[in-house]
Amino acid sequence: MKDADIDADETDRLLLQRMASGDRAALAVLYRSYHGRLCRFLSRLTRRADLIEEVINDCFWIVWQKAATFKGESRVSTWIIGIAYRCGLKALRQRGDEPVDDENLPEDRTPAHDPGEDRELRDWLSKGMERLSADQRVVVELVYGVGHTLDDVAAIMQCPVGTIKARLFHARVKLRNVLPALAGDQLTQKESVP
Amino acid sequence: MKLTKDTDRDCAQAWEAMPWVLQDSAPPEQSAWLTEHLARCEACREEFAQQSQLRLALALPTDIDLDPEVGLKRLMGRIDATQVEETQTHARTGTWFTRALVAAVLVQALGIGVLGIKLWSEGDAQSYRTLSQPTPAAMPGAIHVVPDAGMKLADWNTLLHSLQLQVVGGPNDVGAYTVVPAHAAGTSDTLQQLRSTHGIRLAEPATTSP
Repeated sequence: MKDADIDADETDRLLLQRMASGDRAALAVLYRSYHGRLCRFLSRLTRRADLIEEVINDCFWIVWQKAATFKGESRVSTWIIGIAYRCGLKALRQRGDEPVDDENLPEDRTPAHDPGEDRELRDWLSKGMERLSADQRVVVELVYGVGHTLDDVAAIMQCPVGTIKARLFHARVKLRNVLPALAGDQLTQKESVP
Repeated sequence: MKLTKDTDRDCAQAWEAMPWVLQDSAPPEQSAWLTEHLARCEACREEFAQQSQLRLALALPTDIDLDPEVGLKRLMGRIDATQVEETQTHARTGTWFTRALVAAVLVQALGIGVLGIKLWSEGDAQSYRTLSQPTPAAMPGAIHVVPDAGMKLADWNTLLHSLQLQVVGGPNDVGAYTVVPAHAAGTSDTLQQLRSTHGIRLAEPATTSP
């Protein structure tokens, strides 16, 4: 774990301790700190903004109630994202929804301030991710987007590490086969290769 | 898996290492090794470039626009509502419990009152006296009788019946019974009869006893 991650985890633990004694200001800090991450993570499961907000609130409702029971066996971020993942699956089950595919992202869903390059990159990613299953998308998001280890992802998704490794492997193979063609059409490779 | 160029063991190792090097969580020696490998392997360079692109794309802010302050406000409202509900539930439970307690105390007080009145109305008058209680003041015509230890109960009962005597006390420490005639017959005659009866060791008027 990097020093920055250790510091962040330490801060999160302190916030949880304060929350356990009913400190709402600590809850607000933790909520704001995780909102963006959870929003992006949950957008791999569903594109519905109302559902994402509901899941984030359900997640933090549980975090608020269980703050005192956090044993510290994992990073706080692993614990919180695991709760969000289970809340997300539950919400989708209750509505009879399947995790959605990323196809046909409406134009008005992309922020107006999105620079052209980011927008191209986003479209490139979107088209690649739509070829993956929901479980594969979640693993890719957690490893590449959030920066979790295989053990963390296994804890979040409550699966054996071997299963996570297999999902990541198959996701990478699919992306490897799909993304270069998309990049040729839409994205100019500007990055230097090490 | 279509890894035509990745059949080489080093390429497979590079493939495994890429996510963790990109995350900056790989050990320094693994990162250094991958850098060296990429310098001489075009296929892995392409793969790594794509992985870097993927990471860059995934690091972009989400395109779903949600205001965290709105969500936070809603969450705080939810917590408030739950706490109010819990307080009300607690208050309701407390009221019910207090009322039940007061009712129980009132019923208890009422019961004690009724019992007290009943006992007070009965006064000291007792309709009975146990033989173990101290002998009351000698009744007129009372006689102390000590039957022989070997006297049968049937003979004792027959004697009492024939002389119309009633036991009102005893036996005391020395085995004496106090008897009184059922009718106001002459005590001296009864005494004589008792004394002459076989099995009676002693018969004396109670009033003359020391």
